[in-house]
Amino acid sequence: MLKLQEHKEPQHNLPCESFLNPERLCLPLSQHTGKPSLVCVKPQDVVEQGQVIATEDGHISSRLHSPKKAKIVSIDDWFHPVLKRAKCIITEPFGDEEHKFTPKSKVDNLNKETLLKMIKDCGIVGMGGAAFPTHVKLSPPKKIETLIINGCECEPYLASDYRLMVENLDAIFKGIEIVCKIIEPKNVIFAVEENKPEAIKKLHLAVSLKKYNLPKLSLAILKTAYPQGGEKQLIYSLTKRKVPSGGLPLDVSCLVHNIGTFFAIYEAIYLDKPLIERVVTFAGDALVSPKNIRLKIGTTLRELFDKKILEFKTEPSKIICGGPMMGIALESLEYPILKANGGFLFLNKIKTCEENTCIRCARCVDACPLNLLPLEYAKRVKRDEYNKLGELNIKDCIECGCCSYTCPAKIPLVHYIKIGKKYASNN
Amino acid sequence: MPLIISASPHSNSRFNTPFLMRQVIIALLPATFACVFFSKYHALFLIANCITSAVLTEIIILKIRKKPIVANDFSAVVTGLLLALILPPTTTWYAAWLGSIFAIFIGKHLFGGIGFNIFNPALLGRAFLMAAYPKMLTTYIQPFSVDTISGATPLALKKFSHIATPTLKLFLGNVSGSLGETSAICLIVGGLYLLIRKIADWRIPLSLLSTIIFISAITYIFKPETGSVFFHLFSGGLLLGAFFMATDPVTTPVTKTGRYVFGVGCAMLIMVIRYFPGLPEGVMYSILFMNALVPLINKYTRPKRFA
Repeated sequence: MLKLQEHKEPQHNLPCESFLNPERLCLPLSQHTGKPSLVCVKPQDVVEQGQVIATEDGHISSRLHSPKKAKIVSIDDWFHPVLKRAKCIITEPFGDEEHKFTPKSKVDNLNKETLLKMIKDCGIVGMGGAAFPTHVKLSPPKKIETLIINGCECEPYLASDYRLMVENLDAIFKGIEIVCKIIEPKNVIFAVEENKPEAIKKLHLAVSLKKYNLPKLSLAILKTAYPQGGEKQLIYSLTKRKVPSGGLPLDVSCLVHNIGTFFAIYEAIYLDKPLIERVVTFAGDALVSPKNIRLKIGTTLRELFDKKILEFKTEPSKIICGGPMMGIALESLEYPILKANGGFLFLNKIKTCEENTCIRCARCVDACPLNLLPLEYAKRVKRDEYNKLGELNIKDCIECGCCSYTCPAKIPLVHYIKIGKKYASNN
Repeated sequence: MPLIISASPHSNSRFNTPFLMRQVIIALLPATFACVFFSKYHALFLIANCITSAVLTEIIILKIRKKPIVANDFSAVVTGLLLALILPPTTTWYAAWLGSIFAIFIGKHLFGGIGFNIFNPALLGRAFLMAAYPKMLTTYIQPFSVDTISGATPLALKKFSHIATPTLKLFLGNVSGSLGETSAICLIVGGLYLLIRKIADWRIPLSLLSTIIFISAITYIFKPETGSVFFHLFSGGLLLGAFFMATDPVTTPVTKTGRYVFGVGCAMLIMVIRYFPGLPEGVMYSILFMNALVPLINKYTRPKRFA
C-alpha cells in the first residue's frame, strides 16, 4: 500500500454547511449498480418532497425520490459522470418549505422484514462509491460473521465521511444497530484510519459507554495508507482473510458498509426519510475555500457556482468526481451530484506528464495491493495482445491507481488496464 | 473553461526516469571522488572519455532512429560513468570510446533502446573490451602511482600469489583495481543512499550480499586460505556490482521473488568463479549471465494474486 499526500486539511475541520434550495435538479435513473430505475412520473407532474419518482426494476435496483416539492420539467438525457450521458428526471423545485421529518423514539418493535423493506423503499444504496443497493447487500444468502464499518476514507482530499462521523456519530451507531438487527453478525468492527483524530476520540467514548445494543464491537485504528478503504484490503487488514478472486466479502463471511450508508439507514428508519440528501466535500486549489456541504441529490455543480456557494480562485484545469486516485475527470459543470458522490475536486495545477518508455523498474508491481503485474498488462495492451491478459488475472484489478501513481515513466497503466479488461472479457 | 480529461489516477509521485538516473549519478559520486583521489588524472581522463562517448553515441543513434532526443534522460551518462568505473585506470582513450559505443549501440539500441535491453550495457561494454584488449583490461596500477607502476588486484594476489590484503586497505580503497570498485566505504555510502531514497530495490543487494557472506563464511571455516568474509565482501567489483549493476531496473526481474532469485544466483556464480576457474573475479560475467535468465525468472516467479 502507498503513503500518499493526504490534502485533508482544512476540509477535515470544516463543519458541514447546507444548501437545500436548488432551482433545478437532475436525477439520473442510474445512480446505483444494477438496472436503472423505472420512471413513474411524467413531465408537468407536481411531486411532493420524498415522493417516489422512479421505482426499482427487479431485485438489484433502487428507487428514486424527489428531493424537493417540485414540478417535473422533462425526462431527458443528461450528463452522468460514469455513463457520460444517461436518462435523467429534470425537476424544478418550488416553495422553500422542507418536510418536517420527526424522529421516532422507538424502533425496537420493527422486525427484520419491515426494516429491510423500509431500507429498500427509501432507495438506499452504498454511499462509498459503488452504490450497490443496500437491501440486496443486507439480505445475504449466507450467515455473516463480521460486520465491518468502513470509515477509512483513504482517498486524499475527501472529508465527507469524517465530518459525518464527527457530527453525527450517534445516528451512525443507531444505523449500525439496525443493520445488526437485520444480519445478526457475531462481531462488529469499526475501522478508521489514524489520520482522523476527532472521530477516533468520539468513537472511543461511544465504544466505552456501551449504550448501543450491539454484538461484540471493536474499534480498529488502521495506519493511513492507500487503498486501505478498499473492501478486499480492509477485510484483510482486519481479519487476515482474503476474498477469493471474483468473489464477494460474503465468501469470507464479512460485510462491509460505508459510514454514509449507516447514516442513510438511520434516516430511513428513524425519520422515514428517503435518500435525498448527502454530504459532499468540495476541494482543490482552484477553489477560494474548500467546503463540506449537505446537498440535495441531483443538484448540479453549475448551480453551486451560480449561487456563489462555491467560488473559483483560478480557472480549474481539471474537475474530478471523486478522489484523485479513482475519481472521474468531468468535462463541464453540468454534472449532477449522485447518491454515491462523496466529493468533487477542482484542480488548477495539474502536471501533464508525457508517457515515456517503461524501464521495468517494477514499482507498479511493488505498489499493487493485489500482487498483479501492471507493466505486463500495459505492454500487451499496447501491442494489441489481449489473449494472455485473462491468464495474468487482469480482472482482479480494482483500478486503485497505485501503479500509475508510482510509475516513473508516467505510463497511464490504469488506462491500459481498463482497455485490457474490456477486450479480455470479449474473448 | 478548457478541462483536461484523462483516466484516473489524477495524481503522480514525483519520481520520473530522469530523476532516478540523476539519483544514481549522485549515489556514484563518493566512489567517483575516491577514484579521482587514488588514480588522479587517469581517473578524470577515463571518466570524461567514457561519458562523452556514451552521450554522443546516444544522441547520434537517437537521431538515426528518428527518436526524440531526451537530453535530460541521463541514462547514457549513467552508462558512461558506470563503464568508466569498471575499467582499469590505464585504459586508453580509444578503448574507452570503443567500449562506450559498443555499450550504447549494441548493448542498448540494437535491443530497442532504453527499457528493452537484456544485458546491462556498461557490463556488456566491459565484456567486449575484455575480449578485444585482454591485456589492457587485466593490467592494473598501484594507487597514487603517477608513473604507472603496475600492481595486481587483491583478488588476483589472493588467488595466484596467496597474499592477503589487509581489510582496512580494502575498506578504504587503497588497492589496485578498476577505477570505481576499490573503495568499499564509498560504494556502501552510495549504495545505502540508493536504498534509503528508494531509488533501487533492496531485495537484490540484500540477497546477493547475504549469499556471498554465507558462502564465504562456510568456506572460510573449512578452508581459511580462500579468504575471509570481509575480504570477499570488500574486494573486487562486488559492491559496485551489487548496488549499481544488479539493481539496474531494465535488466533485472520485475517480480519480488524473482529479485531474490536473481541476487542469490549472481552471488553463487561470483563465488564459483572466484574459487575455481582461472579468473580472479567474476562479478561482470555473473551479472551478465543472470541478465540472460531474467525472462525465465520472471516467468516462473509470477506473484500469487491477492485472493
